[in-house]
Amino acid sequence: MKFSFKVFSLVLLAGGVLMFSGCDKDPEPENIPEMITRVVLTFTPAGAAPIVAEANDPDGDGPQDIEIEPIVLNANTDYTLTIQLYNGLYEPTDPEYNITEEVEEEGDEHQFFFGWSAGLFTSPTGTGNIGAAGTVNYADEDAGGLPIGLTTTWTTGTATSDKSFRVILKHQPDIKSVTSTSADGESDLDVTFPISIN
Amino acid sequence: MRVLLLIGFLWFSSLLQAQDTCTYSIQGIVTDESGSPLAGASVLIANTRQGEATDLAGRFNLTQLCKGSYTLTVQYLSYKTAEQKVVLEASTTITITLQPEEIVLQEVLVAGHTEVVSRTSNSISLHARELNELKGKSLGETLQNINGVNSIQSGPAIFKPVIHGVHSQRILILNNGIRQEGQQWGAEHAPEIDPFVANNLTVIKDAGAIKYGTDALGGVIVVTPAELPMDEKIGGELHLIGNSNGRAGTVSGLLEGGIKNLKGWGWRVQGTLRKAGDTQTPDYVLSNTGFRERNYSVSAGYHTGNKGFEVFYSHFNTTIGILRGSVSSSSEDLALAMKRDVPQYTTDFTYRISEPRQEVTHNLVKLNGHIRKDKNVFNVQYGLQINNRKEFDVRRGTLTEKAALAYNLFTHTLDAEWESTLSDTHNRCIGINGMVQDNNKIDGTQTLPFIPNFRNYSGGIFWIEKINRTKISYDFGLRYDYRYYQVAGFNFQNRLYKTQFGFGNVTATAGVNMKLSAPFTFTSNVGSAWRPPNVAELYSLGTHQSAAAIEYGLLLNEITSQVMEMKGSGIKAEHALKWVNTLKFAEKRWQGEVTGYVNYIFNYIYLKPRGITEAGRGPFAYFRYTQTDASFLGLDASIQYEIASGFSIRPGASLLRAKDEAQNDYLIFIPSNRYDVSFRYEKKPGRGHHGFFTQLRVKHIAKQTRAPRVVSPEEILQARQQGVDLFEQDARNFDFMAAPEGYWLVGFSTGLSVPVKRSKLDFRLSADNLANARYREYTNRMRYFANDAGRNISVGVNLSF
Repeated sequence: MKFSFKVFSLVLLAGGVLMFSGCDKDPEPENIPEMITRVVLTFTPAGAAPIVAEANDPDGDGPQDIEIEPIVLNANTDYTLTIQLYNGLYEPTDPEYNITEEVEEEGDEHQFFFGWSAGLFTSPTGTGNIGAAGTVNYADEDAGGLPIGLTTTWTTGTATSDKSFRVILKHQPDIKSVTSTSADGESDLDVTFPISIN
Repeated sequence: MRVLLLIGFLWFSSLLQAQDTCTYSIQGIVTDESGSPLAGASVLIANTRQGEATDLAGRFNLTQLCKGSYTLTVQYLSYKTAEQKVVLEASTTITITLQPEEIVLQEVLVAGHTEVVSRTSNSISLHARELNELKGKSLGETLQNINGVNSIQSGPAIFKPVIHGVHSQRILILNNGIRQEGQQWGAEHAPEIDPFVANNLTVIKDAGAIKYGTDALGGVIVVTPAELPMDEKIGGELHLIGNSNGRAGTVSGLLEGGIKNLKGWGWRVQGTLRKAGDTQTPDYVLSNTGFRERNYSVSAGYHTGNKGFEVFYSHFNTTIGILRGSVSSSSEDLALAMKRDVPQYTTDFTYRISEPRQEVTHNLVKLNGHIRKDKNVFNVQYGLQINNRKEFDVRRGTLTEKAALAYNLFTHTLDAEWESTLSDTHNRCIGINGMVQDNNKIDGTQTLPFIPNFRNYSGGIFWIEKINRTKISYDFGLRYDYRYYQVAGFNFQNRLYKTQFGFGNVTATAGVNMKLSAPFTFTSNVGSAWRPPNVAELYSLGTHQSAAAIEYGLLLNEITSQVMEMKGSGIKAEHALKWVNTLKFAEKRWQGEVTGYVNYIFNYIYLKPRGITEAGRGPFAYFRYTQTDASFLGLDASIQYEIASGFSIRPGASLLRAKDEAQNDYLIFIPSNRYDVSFRYEKKPGRGHHGFFTQLRVKHIAKQTRAPRVVSPEEILQARQQGVDLFEQDARNFDFMAAPEGYWLVGFSTGLSVPVKRSKLDFRLSADNLANARYREYTNRMRYFANDAGRNISVGVNLSF
């Protein structure tokens, strides 16, 4: 009998000790590099104030929709478009906050593609290079001489409204080439802005 | 070659002899000389591993026996070992009276000290013999052979058991007496158990596992290893199985014995290795669907007649690939993937497993002891489970090497109970259970944690009364549980949130078992059960492996995307009320059972499609955990008829109708009606062999006609472009794709046992999907992308010594 009580108390003791061990530290947040929560398009005309349109999705994959501002450009004007990307999960002071540079540095595996309603621009003409073979005036290039698309140039046509302007950023590791298209790789970004021309 | 010829000859000659089916049983009661029942006496069939311990009423029931003569060996401490010959022509009931032993027995045997399956419960078991015919399959796949049990599949290697239409958190799995606690919240998370550990698998179809706590809303799966041996002789088993589909191999071995000069001690070591490459459909390879498994267990114990203890350790480790073509990163990708005839990224057969894949390890340590004193038995057991799960997704660049989801789950359980025999017919059992659980993310995934870290403290107390009379048995059980959660996780802004809350409630069951006029027995059980919402159901956020959708927990505010407090959220625990009735009959040539059930689950939690969220990467369908009331009404029936000596036919059917009662709608992933018929020829052991069987089984799985409406990803995207919110106008459930057509499967198996000196060799040959049918199973999540597995030929050799 004595022996079995020993076994009993041993089991109980082992159980008790193990059950109440453990620590209560707060979990550490993860670095989440694969997220873009803010996109800023800046259309700069020669010698005038830039026109800015933003898309914001502070909750990422959360239930809230991305909020997209309309782009309003002037007719028959030359613009330089620059794109800035941010990861709002980091503080603006954090080097991880601005993703633009990262995309530029990894230019050989990233490319922006653009698609727009017919007749918006006189240069480039057409409707863009998303699912189509249209041209885009890329004004930058990666180390291999292929376009990235962080900087592009555009010339608007005549006044129009209720049109759309779609921007896709494709991640194309090892597959970016002269012939790679918007159907290759995975989308890091796919945002459609409303656009009108006054 | 000569061996093959010999086997062939034995096979052939066995066909020529008169046959019998093995469907008989020997029931009985073991008593002392005064007629009082002896609980925990061991009843073994000589020269086999089959046997069991008597229950508190001294009763035993040995089933699945062939006609023939048997010698039963009955042992009980302080009593002389009795041997009784039984010539089995029909199922029989016997009484065995043991004479007291003057001196202490040389050999002592294990007393069955935890009675899991009550006489008044509706249960079906797979015994050692049936399990032998299913060796090489995973636990979930094995259990599908029980009428009323199905599985939610995620490709060819992941089977999650479903009992009467409910699964995951609503099923309790008792692994060697311990509540199995893994990351069971995901539909693609299969139970982390090696079926080779078990020599008996029992499914209790009733709600409410009074002794084991919350969650048993749909039923209980009981995985029981054989009792530890007590004699010095070393015995063992070796299984070698090869499958043509997936070019899979399984090796499993077991060694056991007693210890010389240490009476009462027994030990066992066991291990299994499994490896499979890509499964094949009739037309193409399912790329990245291989798996690797490495499991082992060791146990040792000491038993005398009135006390005993055991130590058990098991380790389970698996790496499972998930179909590469099922990955999609937006609704547009999903629409494309569903339209392809052959999944994207389909390549040649390989054993290599890349992303997406799961790497899961489960460790279990169990210590238990019992003391018998007069008419009381005290049991105590402690279990520690360490579950480690990592899921690897297709990610960018070097991030692929990092698990996208990684958790460690520690679970401590402590159970203590006191069983007492109040009279010949009246037993009582009172006990307590405690559980502490810690779930921690493994840092470095570089993703938002899908579920938060948490700790939960659970406690329960129960009381069971049993009345066992000759013609009728009753039992009543009552228990109370309380569970307290502390949660710390990250919201969509990657900001820490911390909260705590508790749930408490009562579980009650009542059951009756009646011997009606021969040959009928009737069992009826009403059970209530409850479970608190699981942390995953409350706090999930983000995309889940190959789910092609974003999932949001109950406590996620859809407007603000913030995490809400439990208090004031209106979230309730799930409650089930399940009534199960079984009518069994057993005659000389007829045997069968019919089970009818209704299960009404209040506040049923499920993933409901809610709409589209537009993220930076494009539009995504999103699902939110929601509560409704659901009902499950069904019937399981199987009948066996012996047409001629040795030849039997066994038709079966499993029917189920599930409904979302609150919304008058259908639920998704509910198993459709299924029918099967087997033709079996069996030969009892005879000269030169230990038995032979051959079986043909035809299954028909009907189309699920009670499925929610279909809204394809394309329709979702089109509506989105037109600015229409499809789900605002119509809140009904939906599925991305229509339920697949019904299908037929033909299976064949045959086996022969031959004696080799003092050992036994079993040969088995079987074929699944013999006709190489192209089909998709409604409850397989892979059905959106690919066909199911094609023909598989399996060859197995089993040596028992």
